[in-house]
Amino acid sequence: MATPVMMPKVGISVESCVITKWHKAVGDTVKAGDLLFTYETDKSTLDEAATVDGTLLDIFFNDGDDVPCMLNVAVIGNPGESTAEFKPATEEEEAAPAPAAPAAPAAVEAPVAAAPAAAAAPAEGFLKISPRARALAEKAGVDARYATATGAEGRICEADIRRLIEQGPAATKAAAGADLSLAGTGIGGKVSVNDLGAAPAAAASAPAAAVAEYEDVKMSGVRKAISKAMTTSLQSMAQLTHTISFDATNILNFRKQLKANGEALGMGNITLNDIIIYAVSRVLKDHKDLNANLIDGDTMRYFSHVHMGIAVDTPRGLLVPTLMNADQKSLSEISVEAKALAKEAQSGNINPEKLKGGSFTISNLGVFGIESFTPVINPPQTGILGVNGMQTRVREVNGELKAYQAMALSLTYDHRALDGAPASRFLKDLCTALENFTVFLAK
Amino acid sequence: MPKSQYVAPKEMFKAGKIKVADIPANQYKKTMREEFDAKNYTKEDLLGIYSDMVAIREFETMLQTIKLKGNYNDKEFTYPGPSHLAIGEEATAVGQAYLLDENDFIFGTHRSHHEVIAKGMSAIKKLSDEKLLDIMQTVQGGRLYELVKAHSTAKTTKQLAKDFFLYGLMAELFAKDNGFSRGLGGSMHAFFLPFGIFPNNAIVGGSAPVGTGVALYKKCNNKKGIIVANAGDGAAARGPVYESMNFANMDQFRELWEEGYKGGLPIIFNFNNNSYGMGGQTKGETMAYGELARLGAMAANGMHAERVNGWNPLALIECYKRKKAILEAGEGPVLLDVITYRLSGHSTSDVMTYRTQDEVNDWAQYDPMVVYPKELVSSGICTQEEVDAAAAEVIARNKAMFMLASDLELSPYTDFNKNPNHIAGIMFNNETVKTLGTEEPDVRMKKEDNPRVQQIKTRIRFGKDANGKLLPKTKVYNIRDGLFEAILDKFYEDSTLIAYGEDVRDWNGAFAVYRGLTEALPYHRLFNSPIAESAIVGTAVGYGMAGGRALVELMYCDFIGCAGDEIFNQMAKWQAMSAGYLKVPVTLRVSVGSKYGAQHSQDWTSLIAHIPGLKVVFPVTPYDAKGLMNTVLNGTDPVVFFESQRIYDMGELFHEGGVPEEQYSIPLGEPDIKKPGKDLTILTIGATLYRALDAAKILEEKYNISCEVIDARSIVPFNYEKVIESVKKTGKILLASDAVARGNILNDFAHHITSMAFDYLDAPPVIVAAENWITPAFEYDKEFFPQPEWFIDAVNEKLIPLPGYVSTKSYTNAEELRKAKVGL
Repeated sequence: MATPVMMPKVGISVESCVITKWHKAVGDTVKAGDLLFTYETDKSTLDEAATVDGTLLDIFFNDGDDVPCMLNVAVIGNPGESTAEFKPATEEEEAAPAPAAPAAPAAVEAPVAAAPAAAAAPAEGFLKISPRARALAEKAGVDARYATATGAEGRICEADIRRLIEQGPAATKAAAGADLSLAGTGIGGKVSVNDLGAAPAAAASAPAAAVAEYEDVKMSGVRKAISKAMTTSLQSMAQLTHTISFDATNILNFRKQLKANGEALGMGNITLNDIIIYAVSRVLKDHKDLNANLIDGDTMRYFSHVHMGIAVDTPRGLLVPTLMNADQKSLSEISVEAKALAKEAQSGNINPEKLKGGSFTISNLGVFGIESFTPVINPPQTGILGVNGMQTRVREVNGELKAYQAMALSLTYDHRALDGAPASRFLKDLCTALENFTVFLAK
Repeated sequence: MPKSQYVAPKEMFKAGKIKVADIPANQYKKTMREEFDAKNYTKEDLLGIYSDMVAIREFETMLQTIKLKGNYNDKEFTYPGPSHLAIGEEATAVGQAYLLDENDFIFGTHRSHHEVIAKGMSAIKKLSDEKLLDIMQTVQGGRLYELVKAHSTAKTTKQLAKDFFLYGLMAELFAKDNGFSRGLGGSMHAFFLPFGIFPNNAIVGGSAPVGTGVALYKKCNNKKGIIVANAGDGAAARGPVYESMNFANMDQFRELWEEGYKGGLPIIFNFNNNSYGMGGQTKGETMAYGELARLGAMAANGMHAERVNGWNPLALIECYKRKKAILEAGEGPVLLDVITYRLSGHSTSDVMTYRTQDEVNDWAQYDPMVVYPKELVSSGICTQEEVDAAAAEVIARNKAMFMLASDLELSPYTDFNKNPNHIAGIMFNNETVKTLGTEEPDVRMKKEDNPRVQQIKTRIRFGKDANGKLLPKTKVYNIRDGLFEAILDKFYEDSTLIAYGEDVRDWNGAFAVYRGLTEALPYHRLFNSPIAESAIVGTAVGYGMAGGRALVELMYCDFIGCAGDEIFNQMAKWQAMSAGYLKVPVTLRVSVGSKYGAQHSQDWTSLIAHIPGLKVVFPVTPYDAKGLMNTVLNGTDPVVFFESQRIYDMGELFHEGGVPEEQYSIPLGEPDIKKPGKDLTILTIGATLYRALDAAKILEEKYNISCEVIDARSIVPFNYEKVIESVKKTGKILLASDAVARGNILNDFAHHITSMAFDYLDAPPVIVAAENWITPAFEYDKEFFPQPEWFIDAVNEKLIPLPGYVSTKSYTNAEELRKAKVGL
C-alpha cells in the first residue's frame, strides 16, 4: 500500500519549510532510512529519511518549494499504485466549489470578493510600479515606496529599485517627483512637460500628504560636521569603554557646603560637573596618554597642559568648546569659564576658535539619568569621559547595609594609544580623587 | 506575352462583324421507349435511374420532416444544421452522374445532397465488389463498415455499399463522429473522394475555381477523367466563376502549351438553372444574360454551351455523353445550362414570398418523380409493382440508415472531453514530403546550365566583407536569389510542382524572382495566369486538393482582397473541414509593396494571421528566404509567403558563412535573434527589421541601451519561448511592423508576451507600426511607415526616458486615446 511522506513540523512556530534538495527521484527504489530530501527552516537545515521500503511513486513539490508543514510531499509504494489521493489540494482546488453543490454561486463569490479587499489592504495611494520592479523589491525586501521613479510615464522601474537597494532612500516621494520635473528627464514626453511645469508642487505634495510617515530634510552644517566627525571617529579608531562608579558622598557634601556658604564668596554656582572637570584636569597630569592626540596613526602628541573639551547640548546639535589650561585654573575659575563657554555655544555665536584645541573631553549626561554609555571620542583625542547620573546604592559597613549616592563614569579610550590597564588606572585615580575631593582640593 | 505571337494592328483595326454561333437548347427528342429499343439502356438501367431519384427524394424529405416536425420514421430527432433541399432536382443530379466513372470528379454547391447521392450510387454501380469492399474497409479504419454491416439487411456487396454510403453521408450531416469527414464538413461540405465526390462548397460559385484547379491537375499530370463543377444559376453572377471559366479556356492551352498538354481544361461548368438565386429571380430580375447558356459566348469556342432539360434524365445523359467526349478530346471546357426547378423552398425556412403557388403547381405537373415512373410503366418497360418495389427498397434503406445514424450510442457525437484534439489536431499536417509526384520532373535543361544559376555562381553569398563593410548590392547574393534557388531545387525534385501567377513567365515575375525559370520549365509547369486573383488562388487550392503542389503568387499583397474567398474560405478551410482527408499543399507568394500608394503598399500579415488554417511566414534575409521557402515547399499545409519589395536586393548580413548552396530548411515558427543585447528587446515582422537595427545602433551609441533585435520570420505558427526569454532578461519590449497599427498581429503578440512575462516586465510592451491611414505616395513614406526615430520616440515615452531627448512623434497615452476616439 502506498504511504505518503509528509513535511514534518519541526517546531511549534514553524509553519512551513523549504525543500532544498531531493536526493531521490520519482521511480527510484528507496529503503527505510534512505535520505529522501533535505529541507530547511529559517534556522536550520534538516534531512528527512524514508520510513518504509518501496518505490518513490510521486513527488508533489520540487527543490526550492516552500511547503506547509504536515502536507504530503511524496508517496512511496509499489509501482502502478495511484498517488492521486495523497496529492495535496492546491489553493485553487480548495477554493473551487463542489461541482454539483446548489450553493455553488455563493461559494464562488465569497473568495472572489475577498481577494481584492485583501490585496488592497495598505491604505495608501496607488503605487505606479512595473511588475518587474515590484518583483525585485519583494525579492530584495525593500519598500518600493521609497524608490524614486525614473521610468517611462513616471513609473518605478527596475533600475529605481536597484538604486534603492544600493543607495537607500534618496528623497521623499514628493521631493523625487519635484526633482524629476525640474531635471526635465522627459516623463510623458513633449505633451506632458507642459502639464508638469504647470503644477509640479501640487502634484508633488498630494502623495506626501497622503503618506506623511516621514519627512526628509537636508542636514544642517553642524549636523553634517558632527556626522562626519562621529563617523570618522568610529571608523578610524579602536574605541572601547570602561565604566566605574564612585561614592559621591564627599562631593555632594562639599557642594552642599558651597551652596550653603559659598554665596558670599561668589562660589554658590559650582556644579558637580565643575568639580569633575577640576578633578579630571588634575588627574590627567599623571596619565599623559589620555591627554594627548594621536596624529596619523603613528604619532602621539602629548600636551603640557589640559585643554578640556566640554560637550554642550545646543539647539544646533552637539558642540564641544574647549576650556584651555584647565589644569592651571582654580575650581572657581573653571566654574565661571565653563558656564560662559556653554552659554556661548548654546547661543549659536561662539567663536569657532573656541571649539578647537582640546586634549581631552568630558560629556555629562547625568542630568538625563543615564546610567552608562559609550561616549564617542572627538578625534584626534585619545579619550573622553562620560559622566552618568547619580544612583542610590547600598553597601555593607560593619555588618550593616548602608545607602549612599554613587556616580558612574564611562571612559572611552583609543586602544591604539593606550591599553586597558592604564586606562583603568586613570579611572581608579579619578575615583579616589573624587571620593576624597576635599582632600584632593588641598593638594 | 510570348514573343512568338504577334499582335497585328491591321487585325485589330479591321472592320466587320464578330459572330456568335447558335447555342442549342433542349434538342433531345427521344422517348424512353426509343432509347430502350435502341438498346441504349436496359430495364435495370432505367429502373436504377428511378431508384436513385427516389433515394434523393427520400433523403431530402427526411431532412424536411426532421426540420419541420422534429421526427422521421416515428423517431424524434433534431438537426440544427443547414437544409438546402433539392426536392424537384433529383433527375438533374442522376442524369449528370449516370455516365461519370471513378476518375470523374464532381464538385457541389450549398445544395448538393442530390448530386452527392447520385454520384455515389453511380460509382457503386460501376465499381467492382472487390473495390467497394476495399474502400469500405479502408475508410476510417473500417469502423463504419463494421457498424453498417452489423445493422444492415443487405444481401449483396453493392446493397451494403449503398447502406454504407448513405450512412456515412447522414452521419456527416448530423455532425456525428462517424461522418465521412468526422462531422466537420456537414451538409454544405459533404464529399467522399473514393467515389469521385469532391467537396460541396457553401460559397456560391465556390466550386468553379477549385474544380478548375483539379482539372488543371489532371491536365498537368496526365490524369484521366473530367471534372463537373456544379453551380446554380445565381452563381453565374459571381466574378470567380467567370475567372474560372476563362482560366479553364485560356488560349495558351491551345496556342502555347507543348504537345501532349494542349487543349482546354477537362471541366464542365454545370449550371443547375432553377431560375432562382435564393429568392431572386435570375432571368427577369437579377441577371442580364437572358438565357444562361449565352454565357458560353464569352469564349471564342463558345464553351460548347448548351441548354438541356434537366428534368429528363435521359436528355441529360445524352448530353453528358457528347460533352464528355469533347473534354476527353482536349476541347474543353464546357458550359451547361441545365433546366431544373426547386419544388421545395431554398431552405426549410423559406416561406416563398417570391413566387406564386400556381407557378409551383405548373412545374409540379412535370415533376420527374411522377412523370418518369409513369413512363416506365406506360412504355411497357416495367410493371407498376416493379416500380413500387424499387421505391420501397430505397425508402427502407433510408429509414434503416437514419435509425443507425441518429442513434446516440451507435453513432455518437464527438466527445471533445475524450478527444480535445479532434479539430486542433487536423488544422495543420506539419509534415515534410519532399515530392508528391511519382514521375521524373519535366524540365528543359540541366540545373547547372541555367543562366540564372550561372549568374548566381558569380555572387558573394555574404553581404559584408572581412572587415564588416557592406558589399555593393550588385555583387551579393540577395533575397531574390534565395527564393529562386529553393524554388528551382523543388522544381527538379517534385514533378507535381507548378507555378503560376501574373507575368511569371517571360517577364519572370514583376520582381524578377523567377528569372531563369522560363528557360528551365515547360508551360505546363510555369505559365502566366490571367489577371484573376480568385482563379489563381482557387485553382491552386483545387490543384493541391487533387494531389499536386502549387506555388502561386499575387503580384502585390493588396490583391489578397481580390482573392478573399479563395484564401479565407477555401485555402484555409479544406484540410480541417475534410477531417484531414484533403491536403492543400499551396504556397501563396505575396509581395508587400512600398512605392505605389494606398492599393499597392499594404502589409496584410495580420489579416491572414487572423484566419485559422493558414500558415504565415515573412522572411527578410536571403538565408531565411531560401530556408523558409524550402521548408514551405516541403510541407503540405497552405502557407501565405510574404515578401517585401523594399529588400529583394538585400544581401545576407547575419548568417555566418553566408547562404549555403545546398538545400536546408528553417523550421516554421522560430523567430531568430539577429542581434543580441541586454537592455531592450525589439521584435520585428518583415522589413522593419533593418530600421529596428538602425534604431538599435542609435540607442546603443547615444544612450547606452543595448538592444536585442529578434526577427519573427513566421507569424503562424510562432514560438514565443525565445522572445519570452529575451523579455525576462531585458524587461522591456518594442514590437514593430509595416502593417497599420489597428488590428496589427503585434497587438496579439504583445498581449501574449504580457501574459507570459508579466512579472518580468519593466514597462508595457510598445508597438511601432504604420499609421491607420491610407499609404501615401512614396514621397511621404517617412510619415507613414515606422522609421528609426519612431523607435527612439517610443522607447523614450513608453520604455526608458532618454535624457535630453525630444520626441518627434507622440506615443503618449493621451495621443493614443485621442486617435482611437476619432478612428485613427
